[in-house]
Amino acid sequence: MYALGLAARWLHLASAILLVGAATMIVLAGRSDRPTARRWEHRVLAGSRGLALMALGSGLAVLAVQTALFEGRAGAALEAGAIARVLIETQAGCVWLVRFGLLVILAALLWSRLSVERALDWRAARGQAVLLGAAALVPIAAAGHAAAVEPATARAVALDGLHVIGAGVWVGGLLPLALLLWAAADERGADARPYAVLAARRFSRVALGVVLVLVATGTLLAIANVGNVAGLVGTAYGRLLLAKLGLVLAALALAAVNRAVHLGRLAGDGPTVGRPAMRRLATFVAGEGLIALAILAIVATMSVTPPARHEAPAWPFAIRLSFRALEGAPAALVRVLVGSQVAVLGLVGLAAGLALRGRRLPLVAGALVVLGAGVGLALPPLAIDAYPTTYRRPSVPYQAASIASGAALYREQCASCHGLGGAGDGPAGVRLPRPPADLRAPHTALHTAGDLFWWLSNGIPAAGMPAFGRELSEEQRWDLVNFLRALSSGYAARGMGPTIEPDRPWLVAPDFTFAVGPTPPRSLREYRERRIVLLVLYDLARARARLAEIAGRDGTLALLGVEVIAVPVHDARDAIKRIGREPRVLFSVATEGSEAIAAAYRVFATAPHVEFLIDRQGYIRAVARGNGGAGDLDKTIAEIQRLNDEKAPPPAPEEHVH
Amino acid sequence: MRAWKVVALLNLALVVGVGWGYVFWGLKVARLDRELALARAVASSGVEREWVVAGVVRAILPELDVLVITHGEITGLMAPMTMGFRTASPKIHEGISIGDEVRFTLRGVPPNVAVTAIEKTK
Repeated sequence: MYALGLAARWLHLASAILLVGAATMIVLAGRSDRPTARRWEHRVLAGSRGLALMALGSGLAVLAVQTALFEGRAGAALEAGAIARVLIETQAGCVWLVRFGLLVILAALLWSRLSVERALDWRAARGQAVLLGAAALVPIAAAGHAAAVEPATARAVALDGLHVIGAGVWVGGLLPLALLLWAAADERGADARPYAVLAARRFSRVALGVVLVLVATGTLLAIANVGNVAGLVGTAYGRLLLAKLGLVLAALALAAVNRAVHLGRLAGDGPTVGRPAMRRLATFVAGEGLIALAILAIVATMSVTPPARHEAPAWPFAIRLSFRALEGAPAALVRVLVGSQVAVLGLVGLAAGLALRGRRLPLVAGALVVLGAGVGLALPPLAIDAYPTTYRRPSVPYQAASIASGAALYREQCASCHGLGGAGDGPAGVRLPRPPADLRAPHTALHTAGDLFWWLSNGIPAAGMPAFGRELSEEQRWDLVNFLRALSSGYAARGMGPTIEPDRPWLVAPDFTFAVGPTPPRSLREYRERRIVLLVLYDLARARARLAEIAGRDGTLALLGVEVIAVPVHDARDAIKRIGREPRVLFSVATEGSEAIAAAYRVFATAPHVEFLIDRQGYIRAVARGNGGAGDLDKTIAEIQRLNDEKAPPPAPEEHVH
Repeated sequence: MRAWKVVALLNLALVVGVGWGYVFWGLKVARLDRELALARAVASSGVEREWVVAGVVRAILPELDVLVITHGEITGLMAPMTMGFRTASPKIHEGISIGDEVRFTLRGVPPNVAVTAIEKTK
């Protein structure tokens, strides 16, 4: 089924693209009275009729396979009812409907026996074929991966539409052009030779512009669908894209040779120069066209492969390059700087060598050596060990519940060696071949979440760190990774006090979920962009005075855009009852979810009573540690006003640690 | 017929077809939207309605006959929030204390609603 669907997709894509290219090539070549030119036009038209039928037939096959996938059973592929449902009820179905309609009209136009003897009629009929072909091709973009890009879906669809239309003109035009050149290179085709040369020149000019558009849109689409290097080398989609790029480069190299060498030689007249050159050009153009068909086969495979952005990449190399490696290593920094300058020098030399006519070879060779030396100097210090999971994104978001379970797991499994506080000072760690890592240290930030996940799963044999891949589930290991992130950022936050640093957010507040009584649960995330959150971790036995103080200024805080969320550290279930009549607390008191919140946020500050000021972007900006006595709420309000005065809010943090 | 005429007619038909479809569906959607809005307005204005809502009692103000309750969504009336509600009679909040999780009945012509019954859920 998969192979059948793939073959149908390839046939459909190729025929739809060739339809556009054939029609465009005819228009580009223009009308001619030469018999050979006319014969060529008729042959291309006859081919187009076949292509239109093939596009319709293979399109139906793709639709049938898609229906089977949607319905989840192979039998649905042949049921008219199921197909009709897909056509009418899904976006991809609507796209098919529109495209089928346009293809049928195009087929009718191609089969009709309209007279095109007069120039106006010819232009109208041939132009219409281009228009209908393009209109039937472009909507593909609205049913492919581009339609699933979030955000900026419309932009991605527009780019994809441009990309396929460009592919139609370039890729689709190659084979018809090769046919024309062959016909004209023939002994009996002499009458069409000037026509063919003109057509080749026009196509070459148009193709240059189109290729630029293809490269630009292709790059932007690759960024949207793949995102980063890890996605490119570590996922099936990324590797297909690399294969496509390789073939594209081959086709472009052929195109460059055609443009620079073969096209110029057509000018020579007579059978000795012109005809052999033309035949060679035809062969090269046909070769380009065949590579293009292979590219389309890869594109068809990509269209049924989940985009890299939605996959967990498996990093294939033992190292990766990162500027983080330079932190705290000034000597390496100098080396990288010098190396990069040498490399730039090499690039300049290379450009000069290519631009100059004389002494090109020694210049280019010298420049390449300099470039290589620069790269060799600059890159090694940037290398960091990497593992297959290095670029995996955590499947568990950075949330209080995950951090809390991670903290519990840490106490059970890790604290004996790494120490309760993570300083690497656990009693069992003394006997290990290498002292256990200090998990609070800033170097933890040097490693990706995927690195930590790898070590947790597979251990570090040389250091005596055991593997937990069997003992702990994947989710538990991500919980630990989230806890470790909280631990190291908590350590970095130990100096954070009750005053904010304006415009300098860095400490991400882990998301959490809480509920007040039987009301539906709410999360911190829901307040993003809307409210500042004052998160109060309190112990009722000592915090009554402070709660009363906050409750007394309820209205002021609400006016300043503050949502107060009080989280009891004990006896959450009847927390509201325990507060009772006095003070009259009307802000949110978490009766559910408080344990996880307290456990996770305790990693950032351990005082008996802690208040976190969380800005609208979801960053912890100030931490007030106390013992629960009434303090000076005016100070807190002053900090809130400073938050409100911040001009450009920084972007919200991502939901997952990196 | 000459080819250019056929092409012109074809394009005209396409444009008219797409335009007609758009106008047809657009008008239909606009009409449905209007009717829906009207139906909603009729349903929610001037007619007495009743909701049963879960919440937790936060404060009791007997002197005002008001209960402050943190509640979930009240469909068509208000989002989840902490809110003071008038009680239909002082008897209603007898036996209710702060922190009780409750299910209460809200009745009235919006926005003029009052708690007509309340019971503890635990």
